Amino acid sequence: MPRTTTVECPGYPPLRALTTDVVGLVKVLEVREKVGTPKVVETWGPPDASRSVVAASLADRKTNPLLAVARKNGLVEFLNPLNGNSLATVKVKDSVSSSNSTEDEPVAGLHLLGMKGTEPSSKLNKFLMCTTKGKACLRSVTVGDASPGSSHVDSPSTWNVCGAGSVLCSSVDGNENFALFGGKGVEVNVWDLEKCSKAWTAKSPPSNSLGIFSPTWFTAATFLSKEDHRKIAAGTNNHQVRLYDISAQRRPVLSINFRESPVKVVTEDLDGYTVYIGTGCGDLASFDMRTGKLLGCFVGKCSGSIRSIARHPRLPIIASCGLDSYLRFWDAKTRQLLSTVFLKQHLTSVMLDTHFSAEEIESADQPSDLQANDHSEVENDEELPPKVRSKTSRKKAHNKNKADKSKREAQYDELRDEDEQTTIESADDDDELPATTKRRKPLGGNEKRPKHKKSKKSIG
Amino acid sequence: MADRKRKREPAGDGAKPEEEKGSRDNKEKKRTLLPSLIKNKVKRMAVHAKVKREKRIEKKKKAKSRADAHKRALELGEEPPPVSIPRTIENTREPDETVCKPDDEELFVGNDADEFSNILKQERIPKILITTCRFNSSRGPAFIQELLSVIPNAHYFKRGTYELKRIVEYANNKEFTSIIVIHTNRREPDALLIINLPDGPTAHFKLSKLVLRKDIKNHGNPTSHKPELVLNNFTTRLGHRVGRLIQSLFPQDPFFRGRRVVTFHNQRDFIFFRHHRYVFESKETKVDSNDAKTKSAKGKNLTQTKMIARLQECGPRFTLKLISLQHGTFDSKGGEFEWVHKPEMDTSRRRFFL
Repeated sequence: MPRTTTVECPGYPPLRALTTDVVGLVKVLEVREKVGTPKVVETWGPPDASRSVVAASLADRKTNPLLAVARKNGLVEFLNPLNGNSLATVKVKDSVSSSNSTEDEPVAGLHLLGMKGTEPSSKLNKFLMCTTKGKACLRSVTVGDASPGSSHVDSPSTWNVCGAGSVLCSSVDGNENFALFGGKGVEVNVWDLEKCSKAWTAKSPPSNSLGIFSPTWFTAATFLSKEDHRKIAAGTNNHQVRLYDISAQRRPVLSINFRESPVKVVTEDLDGYTVYIGTGCGDLASFDMRTGKLLGCFVGKCSGSIRSIARHPRLPIIASCGLDSYLRFWDAKTRQLLSTVFLKQHLTSVMLDTHFSAEEIESADQPSDLQANDHSEVENDEELPPKVRSKTSRKKAHNKNKADKSKREAQYDELRDEDEQTTIESADDDDELPATTKRRKPLGGNEKRPKHKKSKKSIG
Repeated sequence: MADRKRKREPAGDGAKPEEEKGSRDNKEKKRTLLPSLIKNKVKRMAVHAKVKREKRIEKKKKAKSRADAHKRALELGEEPPPVSIPRTIENTREPDETVCKPDDEELFVGNDADEFSNILKQERIPKILITTCRFNSSRGPAFIQELLSVIPNAHYFKRGTYELKRIVEYANNKEFTSIIVIHTNRREPDALLIINLPDGPTAHFKLSKLVLRKDIKNHGNPTSHKPELVLNNFTTRLGHRVGRLIQSLFPQDPFFRGRRVVTFHNQRDFIFFRHHRYVFESKETKVDSNDAKTKSAKGKNLTQTKMIARLQECGPRFTLKLISLQHGTFDSKGGEFEWVHKPEMDTSRRRFFL
C-alpha cells in the first residue's frame, strides 16, 4: 500500500518562523489557525546569488524585534522581522579588518545581543560578529532611522580569536557575558565579552589506543543551558558530540560518537541537558548530555544536510532546515514529524519568532494595508505603524501566553527535580548542573517523591 | 485437445449462466479461498489453472466488447468511445511539491546562481577528466574508450595511487570543469562519480546494464562532431539539478550536421543512457488506393516521397541510478549531502525523486 508523504498533523498553536537561504531571500512562515499547517506568507528581498545569507540572528523581543543577516558579499543587514524593512547595513570590512587586509572575509557567526529585553527604548543594538579567519568584533548599531547605511556609532572592539585555522561556529550564552568560538584547527574557546579577554580554552582529547590523533575540527557548538556558561556542547567533524565543563577540566567530560557523518549543528534544549544535533546526511537526534545517551532520532525521510535547528522557548516544537530545502517542524517530546514545507532553495538558517499569536493577525491585517499605502507615499514614516501595532498586540499576546507559560514552567521544574535524583548518583554529573540546583530550592521535595520514581523509571 | 477445450469453455459459459446458481456461489467461495491456500498440490494446480483460464476469458470478452463498441460507433458515424488510459506507475505517481514549474521565478534565479551556470551560458568550455578506481581491468578500459568518444574534450588519466582529493586539486589547477570516476568491482564497472569543479556538487550513481559498442547488433561508429543532448523527464528540483550536472559535461553548441545524439532518459529514477546517429531519408512509397481516390482520381500509380528518420545506435548503453548528491567536491568523511538515498524513503513504489 502506498504510504503518502503527508503526515497527519496533531496540530500545534500559531507560530511564526523565518528562514534564510542561499539566494538571499528571507521567507516568513506562519501557522495562523488554532490547528494548521505552516504557509509561506511573505518573502523579502530580491533573489540574488551574491546576497546569499551566511549567518543570521534574531533578537526575539516583545518590542523592537530585530533580524540581522550576514550576506556573502560582506554586508550585514538589519531588518525588521515584522515587515522586512531594511533598517541599517554595516560592512563587515569596516568593522572587522582594521588592519590592511583587503579581501572580504566570510562571516562565520553573527549574534544579536540584548535578547533579554532590558533595553526596550533604545535604538542601539549590540551585536557580535566573527569571520572565518577568527576576527571577532563587538559593536553596536543604531537602528530605526530611515536612511539605512549611515548608522554605526561607536568604534568596534575587535580581537583575534585564533591565530590559524578557520572559525566555523560561535555562540553566546544566555546572560550575554560570554561567547565561544570553535572551528577547523581552532579549539573551543570562551571569551569574556565585557573585558574582551579569553576566559578558557579547551584541550584536544588524547590520541586513542592506536595512537591515532584526530585533528581538531569543530563544526558546531553551543552553551548547554541558558543560565550557565560553564557547560558547552560541541559537535566535531568526525561525528562526535562532546561535552566540555569549564569548571572541571579542559578536556571533554563526555564524548559520544553518532553515526558516520559530521555533526553540523548542535542546539540546546530549555531543560539544560538535552541537545539536538543535526548531521551532514540529514540525521536529526537528541542526546541527554548528563548521561551521554541517545534519546532518539527524528525520523522523517530527511535527506539533506541539516544546517540549522531552532527550539521554541515555550512550546515543545523544534524546527530544522537544511540543504534539502525543506523546513520541518518536529515535536520535541515525541520526536514526531509535525509538518514539512518546501521552500525551493538551500536553506541556511531558521529562527522562530516567539512573540506571535493568532490574535495578532486580525489586528495586524488592517495596519499592513495601511503600511502598503504608507510605503507608496512617505517612505520615512514607514516603520512607525507596525511598531505601534507590535507593542499593543504583542503585549496582548504575551498575556495570553503567560498562563500557558507558567504551566510549562511547572512541568520543567518537575523535570529538573528529576535531575536532582539522577545527578546525585555520579559525582561528576552533580558538578555539572549547579544552575539547576539553584532552581530547585523553592520547591518542596517530599510531596513529589512518588512522582519522581515514576519519571525516573521512564528515563531509565 | 487443449485448443478444443479452450474453445468449448466460453461457449459452455454462455450457454448455462442461470442454470446453476448454487455452483456459481461455490465458485465464488473458492475464489475467495485463494488457490494458494489449498494444501493438496494436484487440486491446487487444478483450481489455479481454472481461475487463470476464467480470468483470461473475461479479459478477452471485455476487449471484444470494447472493439465492437468502437466499430459500431464508427459505422454509425458517432464519436468513438474514449480510449481508456491504462494506469501505470508513472501516471499514478505520488504528488510531489518539488516538481519544477515553468513560471517559477525563484527557479531561474537559482539556476543563474548555481555552479553550472557559467558552463551552460558558454562562458567556459567543458573539459572533462576521466579516471578510474585504483584497480581497473577488463570492461573498464573498454568502457572508458567509448566514453571518450561520446564526450568531447574528455581526457583519460591513469589513476595511479593518487587520492581523489588530490586529483580534484590537480584538475582544478589544470582548469578542468568536471571529473568522471568510473568505479569497477570484480572487473565490471558498477559506479560512476561525477564531480563538478571547482566547487561541487558531486553525484554518485550506481551503474548497471552496461552494454559496450561491440556487443550491440548493427551498431554504428560515432563521428567526432559535438553531439546533441536529450535530457528527458528531469522534473523535480533534484532532477533538475542532476540534469544540469549532466548537461554541463557536454558542449553547449552541438554541431547539428553531425547528426549525433546523446540521450539521458529518466524513468522511475533510473537514468538510461543511449547514443545514436540519425539520418533523414526520403523514401518513396506507393500511395494507397484509398488515399489516391480522395486526392486525385487520375494517377493511381503515383508514388509519394516521404521523409523518414532512421536511427542507428552506436556507443555504450547503460543505466544510472542516483545514490547521493553531495554538496561540494568529493569528501567521503566530512561531506555534506544535498540528497542521500535512505532505505526509509522506499516505502512506496510510486514515489520518485528525479
